[in-house]
Amino acid sequence: MKRFVFHCLAVSSLTLATLAHAETRPEYGGTLRLTMHAVPSTLDPADSRVPDSFARRSLTSLIFDTLVVVDDAGRTKPGLAESWQAAKGNQRWQFRLRHGVRFHDGTPLTGEIVAASLRFANPGWSVRGDADSVTIDSEASQPELPVEVALPRNAIAKRDGQEKLSGTGPFRILDWQPGKKLTLAAEEDCWRGRPFLDGIEVEMGRSFHDQATALEVGRADLIEVAPEQSHHFSPAKGRLASSQPVELIVLVFARDSSSPDDKLLRSALGLSVERGSIQSVLLQGAGQAAGGLLPTWISGYGFVFSSQADLQKARQLRDQVQTARLWTLGYDGSDPLARVLVERIALNAKDARLSLVPTAVGLTDLRLLRIPLACADPWIALENVAAQTDLPRAQNKWSSAEELFSAEKAALATDRVIPLFHLPVFYAATSSLKNWTLRNNGSLELSNAWLGAAK
Amino acid sequence: MRKAIYNSGIPENFKSVTCAFCRAARLSFAFLLVLLIASTALFAADWSASEQQLAKKIVAVTGLGAASLTVENRSSLGRRDSDIVQNGLRSALEQMGLHLLKSEQATTSVTVTLSENETSYVWVAQIQQAAADPAVVMVSVPRTGGSGVAYESMPIMLRKIPLWAQEGRILDIAVLEESGTPSRIAVLGGEDISTYRFQNGRWQTEQTLAINHPKPWPLDSRGRLVQGPDRTLTAFLPGVVCRITATSAPSSITCQAGDDPWPIVPFGMTSAGSDPAATAAIPMLVGFFAPTRNYFTGVLSPAIGKFSTVPKFYTAAFIPREKYTLWMFASADGAVRFTDGINEQTSSLTWGSDVATVRTTCGAGWQVLATNAGDPMQDSVRAYEFPDRDPVTVSAAVDFPGPVTALWTESHGDTAIAIARNRDTGSYEAFRLSLSCGQ
Repeated sequence: MKRFVFHCLAVSSLTLATLAHAETRPEYGGTLRLTMHAVPSTLDPADSRVPDSFARRSLTSLIFDTLVVVDDAGRTKPGLAESWQAAKGNQRWQFRLRHGVRFHDGTPLTGEIVAASLRFANPGWSVRGDADSVTIDSEASQPELPVEVALPRNAIAKRDGQEKLSGTGPFRILDWQPGKKLTLAAEEDCWRGRPFLDGIEVEMGRSFHDQATALEVGRADLIEVAPEQSHHFSPAKGRLASSQPVELIVLVFARDSSSPDDKLLRSALGLSVERGSIQSVLLQGAGQAAGGLLPTWISGYGFVFSSQADLQKARQLRDQVQTARLWTLGYDGSDPLARVLVERIALNAKDARLSLVPTAVGLTDLRLLRIPLACADPWIALENVAAQTDLPRAQNKWSSAEELFSAEKAALATDRVIPLFHLPVFYAATSSLKNWTLRNNGSLELSNAWLGAAK
Repeated sequence: MRKAIYNSGIPENFKSVTCAFCRAARLSFAFLLVLLIASTALFAADWSASEQQLAKKIVAVTGLGAASLTVENRSSLGRRDSDIVQNGLRSALEQMGLHLLKSEQATTSVTVTLSENETSYVWVAQIQQAAADPAVVMVSVPRTGGSGVAYESMPIMLRKIPLWAQEGRILDIAVLEESGTPSRIAVLGGEDISTYRFQNGRWQTEQTLAINHPKPWPLDSRGRLVQGPDRTLTAFLPGVVCRITATSAPSSITCQAGDDPWPIVPFGMTSAGSDPAATAAIPMLVGFFAPTRNYFTGVLSPAIGKFSTVPKFYTAAFIPREKYTLWMFASADGAVRFTDGINEQTSSLTWGSDVATVRTTCGAGWQVLATNAGDPMQDSVRAYEFPDRDPVTVSAAVDFPGPVTALWTESHGDTAIAIARNRDTGSYEAFRLSLSCGQ
């Protein structure tokens, strides 16, 4: 008996060569190959000797968890803490821990371990833990503390000795060659559920060009793309994704202005920088020219700070000063973008009759910094920028948008910094990598990613 | 502006969107329309307090005189809302005594920019008076969201009826009847089963029963809530089966670890149907679900003809024929496989991984609903028939606000439940999918 003739399925609609695949339901299995430019020397999320970077944030989120997570709409959600509550006018916060969570080494998550982890990351905090909760006390009101504990540096790590780290995240460390290679394996009993990927192999210290080649020839699944090269990325090579502008490029003076003349010269320098043309030519249209420290998507008012160059006014200010001393402008010599930026800024300065000498070595009068913004919370982001540039800290924190604006305006009025650009981060992946996203802090979200068939 | 406390599991966290309820045949469309309009009205914003607040700040700078006003919208506010804010602001400023002139007539100019950040709209007024540096004042307004629907013309209309939405994952929903009238719903979440009764125009929580499970759920965890012929409820979850002792509150739940197979054919389809000859051919098929993954292992009971196993699959659907049943499996490798019990073949269909059968009075009487395999940002479901060999599309695509995470045939067999995760809000939204004829 031949009930059903299957030739029927092999007819008109058949485009057999391109077997279509379902997309919506994730598949388990496979090892993701990720490459990055950074060369992190530690995986410890709270090691302050290593500068913050988007790559570091991505690695942290694969291995560790935070008590609280902040979603893309800026809302706080439970992480390792199931609930939390404030007391004493937001000076005391108690976080109740999720039950049944274990570190990768099998140790149950306890308040004591969490407290030790948070104290390590924040030596100034008063933290105490018991079996199933942790309490943080502070002298000042801290209404945004849940957002702060969601920062990657506050990820909960169990530290045994100097190098032995254990997390509760979706992947456990199999092999770690600092600054070179990291091999991760899926944590089968992860409290969030076993990740779809079996493992992740991370190669570090790869140039952007090498990474692009690796993606093209199928030796990498997910790569970083330099902002200035994102424009040239061909969709045929894979999917390109970018974040919101989460990186601040800024000129930072080593000292406060020493005299009214110095103040005039700094203003002249700020007005001489042709951010618009630099953004279109050197950055190939990526990012935004910045007049303020925070981008508009974080503050809501960033456009108020002008980023327009005004060469005529710059010259007027310069001419009010009899003698302008030569400034040295430092930058990271391993960063090709930083080098071309400082060269162009020096040329702009020259047009305003200012003398800037770029150098990649030694102490300098001012420096070009690339600062990853801490998070989408405007107060925490501003506080973080202030800490990295020695700007004065805001007094009336956590209040209205107007107070935030005043705090940022006051920081800019010190003439200690000249904001230049806000840049997004870019990643590209093969079409076989599904459900990968970028968080609004510029880090990769791979805990739900999976490898399927390439399209 | 900010939420300082989060307590998971508190009912306030549930964001009940709307309530359109009942099987399509029994529910008047007018009632649905009223509910949908009511839910849409929830999104209508009242900007007046913020307009007043900003106007007050502007007047504090300009004083009572004359000024020009320009409003620029660089936020996600639509034109309608932007116009409302602009008009409201003008009225508020004039009521406070500021005389608004054209820009060439005024020495003071006020430029209001409707901007936004992640959590709020930020309205910024830059006030330029003579040659002084502009003064800046601003207000922030918490943001809300909205929704929309679209249709195209096809022989059968696939309708999406909102049932329930919540922040936490929804695995399945069962609409419960009392004396033949649907009046309650049971929501299977990741950690509990909650029942709600529709009373006084709104859903009210009856009972929440926690699900005990010894191991963490797998990612993309799945579950199915099945009503038995006796109206009892059984929840099938990865490696766990829970039985609810009574359908009306108070009831209790018993969960136990085990690999009980999940039903693939709803009981309603194996009994009465529009075509008794066809329904008689449908066996009560069950499949074993992998306890640490998101798919069925492929082991079936009873066997389909000579096939007691098929490649591991996510979902299955079927079309009864006169002498056999055509089965289709959305396999874990992405292909859709067909079998009639004798032969098996992989097709080239561009379907997603969720399929479900519904039996209706429309068209051929049996339709297969399938998700698409296209844009992962916005999923959709269409209805198909198999008049001869290839599937024929019989409905327009119904779009969802994010990926469809579950698609299950309901117990009666004539409708299906679709769960989608909203890409914008992150919440889970459950819909009943019903087909209506003769469009």
